[in-house]
Amino acid sequence: MTDSFQNIAVTSFPDIIKIDFKSISNKYLKVILIHVFLVFLILFVALLITDYSGVFKILENTIWLYLIVFIVFIAVVAIKSIGFKKMKYVVREKDISYKKGVFFRSLTTVPFNRIQHIEIDEGPVSRFFNLVSLSVFTAGDSSDDLKISGLLKEEAQQIKEFISNKIDG
Amino acid sequence: MDNIDRFSNFRRQSKKGILVIYLNILYKAFKAFWFLLFLFIQKFSKISESTLLYIYIGVFALLVFLLIRAFLIFKNFQFKIENKHFILQKGILKKTHTSIPFDRIQNINFKQNIIQQIIDVHEVNIETAGSSKAEISIKALSFKEASALKQAITIFDEMTTTANIKTEEKPLLQIGFAALMKVSFTENHLQSLLLLFAVLLGFYQQISDLFDGLGKQDLLDNYITENASSLENNVILIIGFLIILSVIAVLSSTVRVVLRHFNLTVFVKNNALEIYQGFTTKKSVILKKDKVQHITISQNPIKKKFGISFINFKQAISGKVENKKDKVIKIVGCQLSQVAVIKNLLFPSENLEGIHKNFSTSYYRVRLYLRGALMLFILNTLLYVVIQSNQVLWINTVLIPVFILSIEVSFKKRYYLFNKELLLVGQGTIETHKTYLPFFKVQHVKLKQTIFQAKNNVADVIFQTASGKIKIPCIQLEKAQQIYNYTLFKVETSQKSWM
Repeated sequence: MTDSFQNIAVTSFPDIIKIDFKSISNKYLKVILIHVFLVFLILFVALLITDYSGVFKILENTIWLYLIVFIVFIAVVAIKSIGFKKMKYVVREKDISYKKGVFFRSLTTVPFNRIQHIEIDEGPVSRFFNLVSLSVFTAGDSSDDLKISGLLKEEAQQIKEFISNKIDG
Repeated sequence: MDNIDRFSNFRRQSKKGILVIYLNILYKAFKAFWFLLFLFIQKFSKISESTLLYIYIGVFALLVFLLIRAFLIFKNFQFKIENKHFILQKGILKKTHTSIPFDRIQNINFKQNIIQQIIDVHEVNIETAGSSKAEISIKALSFKEASALKQAITIFDEMTTTANIKTEEKPLLQIGFAALMKVSFTENHLQSLLLLFAVLLGFYQQISDLFDGLGKQDLLDNYITENASSLENNVILIIGFLIILSVIAVLSSTVRVVLRHFNLTVFVKNNALEIYQGFTTKKSVILKKDKVQHITISQNPIKKKFGISFINFKQAISGKVENKKDKVIKIVGCQLSQVAVIKNLLFPSENLEGIHKNFSTSYYRVRLYLRGALMLFILNTLLYVVIQSNQVLWINTVLIPVFILSIEVSFKKRYYLFNKELLLVGQGTIETHKTYLPFFKVQHVKLKQTIFQAKNNVADVIFQTASGKIKIPCIQLEKAQQIYNYTLFKVETSQKSWM
């Protein structure tokens, strides 16, 4: 009957590509940047300590080492900022989707009728901005199911409620 | 309905179970303390008679203690069926109460090791998707009771009113000894060899731990290096060694296959496959049709000559998939017609014949070559560092053609095709694997692109199922999006339960 897939009318079912995705709240960029800043602060302090205690005598001029760390810092901030713009999500009537990535792009969709449970997490920094992350889990190896970070707490609750109703209904 | 009545009150397993449990505990104790026994035998002459007496008394006390323990385990092990749940109570001090609803049960397996065969009892394992080990393991039931229990559970589950389905039909597949030999000769011998090595390595470690304790590690090492250095000097010895190794490989895969799959018989009953196999340990598995997530049919060139292939059934598992190899159910030595019957049972009236294959784009070939080149580079560097001679780089004259050939072959074998319900993904280098996945069993879908793939307008599609990932690499973005949308459509409109 079906000679090839192309014969089935593609337009008859919803197209995820044409859907407008929602961006993550701008406050989450601050959370990301604070995280990056903290990591590099620790790195910088560690570098400072090793430099002054004289454990390493690799370079004559340690200023280069600081410069490299600084350049990496700038690069990471830049990549994270661009990456943040790429993080988008959408909740449709029957599924939830999330896309992200600059160098490694990915788009994931989880249908509601396959969701096993939903989780809402608050990180210490995120909590300050009233942001949470929403994870949904399916059966099997769920290590890379869908996780949306930087949602407003109220919105995440709404989504959770919406999905729960859909699953039970 | 007498089956249900029979299990409606708490009951214990057959009394012979005490023996099975006792021997099981003894075996575990022996496995943990065998080097003590070894030490004891070695130093036997040096131990004074009074100490010897204490040791004997100690061992005797331990044996009695374990016997009492086995009895208590038996005494406290009770199960019943109530309200479509299987209920189990066990534990001597720490009581465990387990209750499993019937529709969550994935398989009910019968098992018989040598002892259980001698005293004529069956071990019944009840598995769910939840854990890697069987959730419930009843060590000893008479065959009548075991099959009554099985029937009680399966009949409830299937909700069929036709209770008397128990007509012994002709088996779908029965593999005799000769056919099994064919299967074992066409196994992946390299894999068997690696398995054997793993076992030997574990054994060596245990032995060397023992020698270490005795302060004789040097002795063992010396013995090995002495033999190794004489090996290095002798090419004939190396060739002989290789020949012996390949003989061992073939033998070990033969032994492995015969032990595991001896007298393999498959029945098709109702909505399930019943598989019986095993030599020293007899096993029977009931595979419910709806619980199968996807199947893989595999062949290699020699197997193809014989017209046989094997089928892997993947069921839902939680957690990491790799660690749960023994939950994969495998039927070896299927003829083409039998494969067709099984396929028809699992995916009725789905015909994939004649649908044209879709291949990955040439970007995939580029990716394979890049990965191959990277691997070659690492291999060369390693070899050069270890052996420190330019001569070693000659190995590339063999390696490079092998790499190119295997990349070309695996690129050609990578394809996918589908009809309305079923997806088929083909892959492999020496072996050929065909994976069949019904769309509605997908848990979630993913579209992946590296920045280079985005430039070339290709993408990977990854289907996450309850039993692992299935990947279609590097196809055109438009096609990937079509499949993506179609899969979602199928999953979201499906009314069937995926397990």
